[in-house]
Amino acid sequence: MNGVESNGQAKADMRVRLRGVEFKNPVLVASGTFGYGAEAKKYCDIEQLAGIVTKSVSWKPRPGNPPHRIIETASGMLNSIGLANVGVHTFVSEKLPYLAKFDTKIIANIAASSMEEYRDVLEHIEQHATPNLVGYEINISCPNVKDGGLSFGTNVERTEELTTLLRASTDRLLIIKLTPNVTSVAPFAQACERAGADAISLINTLVGMSIDIYTHEPRLNTVTGGLSGPAIKPIALAQVYQARKACGIPIIGIGGIVSAEDTVEFLIAGACMVQIGTANFVHPDAGIRVARGLAEFLQKQNISAVGDLVNSLRIRAELKAAGW
Amino acid sequence: MLAPGLVTLRFHNPKVARETIAGQFVNVLPKAGAIDPMLRRPFSVYNTDGDEAEIIIQAHGRGTNILADTAEGEMLDVLGPLGNPWNYKSGDFKTAVLVIGGVGVASMLLLTRALVKEGLPVQSYYGARTKDLLALQDLTNLHVATDDGSEGFHGSVINMLRKDLEARKIEQPKLFVCGPTGMMRAAAVLAAEYGIPCEVSLETEMACGIGICQGCPVPTDDTTFQKTGKRFRLVCMDGPSFSAETITI
Ligand SMILES: Cc1cc2nc3c(=O)[nH]c(=O)nc-3n(C[C@H](O)[C@H](O)[C@H](O)COP(=O)(O)OP(=O)(O)OC[C@H]3O[C@@H](n4cnc5c(N)ncnc54)[C@H](O)[C@@H]3O)c2cc1C
Ligand SMILES: Cc1cc2nc3c(=O)[nH]c(=O)nc-3n(C[C@H](O)[C@H](O)[C@H](O)COP(=O)(O)O)c2cc1C
Ligand code: FES
Repeated sequence: MNGVESNGQAKADMRVRLRGVEFKNPVLVASGTFGYGAEAKKYCDIEQLAGIVTKSVSWKPRPGNPPHRIIETASGMLNSIGLANVGVHTFVSEKLPYLAKFDTKIIANIAASSMEEYRDVLEHIEQHATPNLVGYEINISCPNVKDGGLSFGTNVERTEELTTLLRASTDRLLIIKLTPNVTSVAPFAQACERAGADAISLINTLVGMSIDIYTHEPRLNTVTGGLSGPAIKPIALAQVYQARKACGIPIIGIGGIVSAEDTVEFLIAGACMVQIGTANFVHPDAGIRVARGLAEFLQKQNISAVGDLVNSLRIRAELKAAGW
Repeated sequence: MLAPGLVTLRFHNPKVARETIAGQFVNVLPKAGAIDPMLRRPFSVYNTDGDEAEIIIQAHGRGTNILADTAEGEMLDVLGPLGNPWNYKSGDFKTAVLVIGGVGVASMLLLTRALVKEGLPVQSYYGARTKDLLALQDLTNLHVATDDGSEGFHGSVINMLRKDLEARKIEQPKLFVCGPTGMMRAAAVLAAEYGIPCEVSLETEMACGIGICQGCPVPTDDTTFQKTGKRFRLVCMDGPSFSAETITI
């Protein structure tokens, strides 16, 4: 029991465990939508977050794509940031030590264009790990770079091979971030499980496009980009549900979450944690708003622990019998 | 209404009103709580007065149309002040020359006030397509240009300024430029020709306005900066105003 409110109602237990790691609540902020913490800190008490998944980091710094990098679309946005990042050396010399000052968990997201680069980046971070670095999220799903991880993320064998390789290099949490840009996410979830991943996170952005009808030109310089925001939530939810049916490892749900209610849907569908992405751009404290709202929801619904929601989808017997 | 298509919104926000320095902006939600449109829109802080602040909206798209229709008493969701101020204390000039196009006027009132406070003379060069589109409040030593000649100089504001620079009418000028991209580019070229300092205030798409999305890059020519492996600066954090020679507009 975490404590009792003055009205006598018990506060719900918000804690979540991923293998040996205990998070104070199920709400993380997603890679690429919270920088490296320093920028958003002014607007968000980051110690109230379960943790921060840092911007994808590669071996060398990447300048990112030329403008225009973002376009708003219906209830969402397209981006082609192109994995702009400081490179792993600056990441371990500046960003990790800075983040070590806070009472929150850090998950380092890695992007690369070859097996070796993924491994080298991970091992370099491993050598410079700070106490609150609890694991890695492997981005095999960025649609916005020519040589990016998507070639891994859309190939089951390569996904499994990469996961096996990285598993051998770390005892920290290993989370594989999956793409929705595949016919079925199920074999990917299973490949990650077979190769020893601790969890999978999904979804990354969907390939999308926007066109200026007067100039006939694509609105993004990379022609297509990654779609995120509330527009993608139903897709993300379905993919979490399909992954839940396919594998037994924990799932971190991502995609269009802006509220506690959105989070509850993901938990019911089978995720045990969530990540807040695009919503941070509108409210830099979106993560803690969601965490607070979730605690209130649990209390109002008399649910004693957030874990009770996880994978609690009820599909009526006759629907199941009919094959749904 | 200042001029057709321009709407002023005044709102209570002590933080923005008390902390904004000329050149900073706020990021405003078209509709508080809505997810479509979802992103905030950036606007220069036009005026501050006690605990209240004002922005000028040029209604031309989804978000700005919604904002321009904001009813009296409605809540505005405003994040700010954001970005860096105009560098009006650079000390490398004797006369501040404000070069203004269209709604760029929104960042000039606070700048004028700040310059006057510093005891620096101000000349304002302001261009619009036609005279009805000029929003002329509170500008000092105003020189007006209209594309159709309906008021002031007939032609572009840059050509008007070029004439005065040629005639050496302005003592040790520094240009502070805000307007359409083409105008800012032309102003930067003009400043380079005359070897005078020039600062431009850029407008790019923005998602966050606080440096977390990387969505607002501007290519930079600054070689010391490029040594860090970066080729872009962020308009929201490193700008919105930049010394013209350091970036590619
Ligand atoms: C630092 C800064 C200060 C600004 N100050 C003012 C001001 O004082 N008054 C004013 O009227 N306008 C100002 N603008 C421009 C204003 O932000 C855009 O006109 C507005 O975002 C357009 O939104 P929309 O929904 O109406 O247009 P839409 O075209 O429907 O917008 C779609 C998307 O594109 C973005 N976008 C489109 N055009 C621009 C643009 N020119 N700049 C930035 N984002 C854009 C929008 O934010 C939105 O995400 C400023 C821009 C910046 C960056
Ligand atoms: C601007 C932007 C940058 C992103 N950068 C990364 C990144 O570097 N690495 C990564 O794994 N995912 C990145 N993502 C994907 C998000 O982490 C998240 O998976 C996706 O946006 C869906 O969640 P959302 O709808 O809540 O934003 C980025 C998303 C956006 C919008
Ligand atoms: S607008 Fe997000 S980084 Fe500048």
